[in-house]
Amino acid sequence: MSDERKPILELRELSVTRGGVVELDKLSCKLDRGETLIVLGDDRSGKDALLRLLGGFAERTDAIGGTIKLGAGEEQAASRKMRSPIRIVYLPGTERPPLNPHASTASQLARVVARRHEAPRESGREELRLALERLPGTPPFDALDRKPGVSSAVVLTWGLLAAALAQSPDLLIADHAFAGLTPAENKAVVAALQAEQKRIGFALLYAARGLQTAAHIRGRVIVLRHGRVIEEGDFDKLAGGQSHAYTRTLFKALAKPGDALPARTMRGEPLLQVHGLDFRPPGDKGPKPRDGLTFELRRGAALALIGEEGSGRRTLMRALLGLEPFTSGRVVLDQVDMSILSAAMTARLRRRIAFITGQDDALDPRMSLWDTVDEPLRAHLGLSRDMVAGHRDTALKRVGLASYDGATVVATLSRFDKRRLQVARAIVSAPFLAVIDEPLRGLDAFAQSIMKELLDDLRKQEGPAFLIVTADVGVAQALAEDAMFFKDGKVVERGALREILKNPRDEETRHLIEAALGEILL
Amino acid sequence: MLHFALREAARLALGLLGALLLAAALAALGAPHAGRGFMPFMIGWGSVLGSLAQADLGRSAMSGGSVWHELGAHLPLTLGLVGEGFLIALIVGIPIGFLFGAGPARRAASPLVQVISAAPIFVAALALAYLAFHLLHWPVPVGAGEKSGLQLVPHTMAELQAALLPVLAIGLAGAAAAQLALRRGAADTLRQPWRVQLRRMGLTSWDVERAYVVPAVLAALLASLGEVVLALLSAAAVTEWVFRYAGAADLFVKSVALRDWSIAAAILFVFASLTMTAHFVGVCLARLLADPGAPASWR
Amino acid sequence: MAMTATAQPQPNAVLDTILRAVGWIGLASIAVAVSLSDFLASVPADTANAGPLLAPPSEMFRLGTDILGRDMLSETLHGLSATVRAALPAMLVALIAGALFGFVAARLPRVLAFSLRGVIGILSAVPSLLLAILMIGLTSRGWSGLAAGLAAAPLAFVRAFERAEAQERTSHSEYARAAGISAMTLLRRDLVYEFTQTILSGAARSLAAVTIILSTVSFLGFAAEPPHRDLGLMIAAAKGYFLDAWWTAAFPALALTLLILFARLAAGLGEGERA
Repeated sequence: MSDERKPILELRELSVTRGGVVELDKLSCKLDRGETLIVLGDDRSGKDALLRLLGGFAERTDAIGGTIKLGAGEEQAASRKMRSPIRIVYLPGTERPPLNPHASTASQLARVVARRHEAPRESGREELRLALERLPGTPPFDALDRKPGVSSAVVLTWGLLAAALAQSPDLLIADHAFAGLTPAENKAVVAALQAEQKRIGFALLYAARGLQTAAHIRGRVIVLRHGRVIEEGDFDKLAGGQSHAYTRTLFKALAKPGDALPARTMRGEPLLQVHGLDFRPPGDKGPKPRDGLTFELRRGAALALIGEEGSGRRTLMRALLGLEPFTSGRVVLDQVDMSILSAAMTARLRRRIAFITGQDDALDPRMSLWDTVDEPLRAHLGLSRDMVAGHRDTALKRVGLASYDGATVVATLSRFDKRRLQVARAIVSAPFLAVIDEPLRGLDAFAQSIMKELLDDLRKQEGPAFLIVTADVGVAQALAEDAMFFKDGKVVERGALREILKNPRDEETRHLIEAALGEILL
Repeated sequence: MLHFALREAARLALGLLGALLLAAALAALGAPHAGRGFMPFMIGWGSVLGSLAQADLGRSAMSGGSVWHELGAHLPLTLGLVGEGFLIALIVGIPIGFLFGAGPARRAASPLVQVISAAPIFVAALALAYLAFHLLHWPVPVGAGEKSGLQLVPHTMAELQAALLPVLAIGLAGAAAAQLALRRGAADTLRQPWRVQLRRMGLTSWDVERAYVVPAVLAALLASLGEVVLALLSAAAVTEWVFRYAGAADLFVKSVALRDWSIAAAILFVFASLTMTAHFVGVCLARLLADPGAPASWR
Repeated sequence: MAMTATAQPQPNAVLDTILRAVGWIGLASIAVAVSLSDFLASVPADTANAGPLLAPPSEMFRLGTDILGRDMLSETLHGLSATVRAALPAMLVALIAGALFGFVAARLPRVLAFSLRGVIGILSAVPSLLLAILMIGLTSRGWSGLAAGLAAAPLAFVRAFERAEAQERTSHSEYARAAGISAMTLLRRDLVYEFTQTILSGAARSLAAVTIILSTVSFLGFAAEPPHRDLGLMIAAAKGYFLDAWWTAAFPALALTLLILFARLAAGLGEGERA
């Protein structure tokens, strides 16, 4: 066997128990040098326990069983603290801040690299710079000299990846490392990682809760649930068919070409009409578009605004809703010209708009479950609690939160529960327009499938128009018939999404589609 | 950083201006005819502001001397007490804040610190006086009698004994505020995910604590400098009375009792300025040590 | 599938709850002692020559007697009663003029809100004891309770203002406004979730603050003379001879410290945190 294919990691009947709860139950697997293993599951699947153990940061309360063999070392009890014979490097994601906000990204990462090599910090900084330059498509090194709080998720991710690679790993443990990125960013970073993996020959263990990154990496997959492996196999094979019901639900979240919604045949009244809109903020010194934007959104229809961060899709959304001023043009919402309305009247009009967003702090954390759902009806129509109770209970039942104590405070809910609560609130408010902004962000694959079903149900039952803001063509495909693609503050392509997916004309559009759905099948 | 400092400097300038206007309004109450209606009061106020523009703080109704002279005679003692108390606050407060910041040490020290925080300053000062009298056999001037002087830089044992008690009483009040700021800073950083993530990436605990935690905690202390100075000034006001020292706080109490509003206004202005200036210096230094950068917005 | 959404309470949260409970139980005990003070005390307040002069604690006089032969136990109970009765209205003033006013002021038109914040911010930069003495000097000793409440208010105002302002800037407030939720509804939401849920701890905090101010003002000789001496006045009177007769100052000081301690614990204040 060549050196490249010798096992770097062998786990035999590995189990981790904490506080009487079995987090990992007799996991056995092997990972060869140069190979990739994707560990897929939700936050309680046991992935965390596995990463803690392999990364060498098991907690005192962890009771560990089974054996572990690293590289050419002896097989040992996993509970023993040992000096690893191979270089294990941990690569965190950016969803939880991995770096101190008061020091620059470069200085912190240089310190990490220097510590690994037991070298001075200047040497660590140089290694970091060289590692970053080796990766294609990275930002300039100067971008890392800023504080983490002012850098975007993708810049931080490139920096963290460069720091990890600069440490010359034998085994790279990636902890949801690319979860906060858009599909296009994800694709670029994964491509760079895989190129380096081929060059250096390290093994990669990637912990994921969603399928987005896994679809780009495409290695061997093990699906964990409640600490057990319920299915495993090659990614492409699993994508073609799954044997376990849970795995089937996970893979339903995987966007595939050809899943696009058919064009709507029923045409409702116009809800939103836009005429000659230049949606740049007033005072913007950029080039003026030749023609303003003109389009309409009919009742019950769904339009996706697709583009990377900073492409202009959110600016347009905020201009359409009167949340921010625009340079010129006209926006007519529900047959009312928004420019002639006072602030109070605009606020009244916006009562028929529901927001469902991927931001965890969109709901007031102090409010209770019931009050969050009740509020639109009670605040806007002055109805009493008893009068809205029926609507509230129905909405909660539809989203699967009916069994929760109504006094449960929002702050204690999980991310998925908060997302579902937003849908329940939208159901109760009976909106004519639902603004849906990255609804699947940060959810595991199972939750993503459920969330798509809930949004589909909202549209079918309550019939609002959907205005979807996303960087993920897969999300747009699942929820919208029409789309506009954005780049640098301009609309680069628009029309029926199904047609655009078959034959994109613009390069940016093609790039976004391929990042989310793979190669376009013409 | 420059933008932040300029903004804080503007805030300080506005605060000092506001304090000056309020102090002038108080001093105007002592002007002739001030009590006879709104317009006479406004005229008195304008007159005081005009005098202030010429650096004339007016005359004391108690002594007849200029307010500058009275401040010059009494303020240095108070400032000296507060300065020395500040040193004690740092010497006592910083170790308590770091050592008892978290964990079992904090839980063990917590009841004692709570009880000490609950005792009003005059109770703490009398308790110190009692301990000094009975355990160390020091002479303690807490009874009735003439106000005595104080050597802030003692040269003899008697002078040391006289200075130590008030300085200690004031310092302990400041130490309470200092250790609170440090503990809060430590508690904030304990909760931060980057502490765990940096260690997982390969840094040692010592690397993380030295390079990132300690500056953040010290920044928390610096940002609370205004609070510490306010605690010291509050303690000085009571301590001068208890130990019978003729400082500015003692003069303030007398001036209010005898309705000498010029003196009262001047002392209040000085105290407010000290607190606001300490806050400004503290937040700027804290920002230098731990500038978080601009937060992300949902847009 | 049914899932519980509540997390396990953290150890510090459990300890904090216990301490708050201790605080409230202590305050309740003091309330009982105050309402029954006339019954619990063996003699009425200011009864001189109830016993020998400056007698130390003994079987007959459990807390000793003072320089006029007054029973210290009875005097301390009466003094505690006088202190609490003076502190309660001052606490209400501090709560309304401080916390509630600060909370509402943050929602006023921007210029007015920041002007108020500026002026009251300046007042909060002055030791509250000196503010109280000034207000008493400007009015009269009879207004010492109101003065103490108003002197404690600036700090509470600034805290409540900044908290309310921070709430305005949160994402959920932005989304609520974007969805047409009115400013009045948001204010009502904050009143329900912020103010009413913190009103008890706010009241306890104000009680601690005004008790310190009132007792110090009384100690310095500025307070109104109530029907009976309060604890500050008792300690001031004992200043001349407490070095030889520790009990004449120690027990009133202990009662005062316990009152403030229980109020601080009930408010959930950290060690060293200003009330």
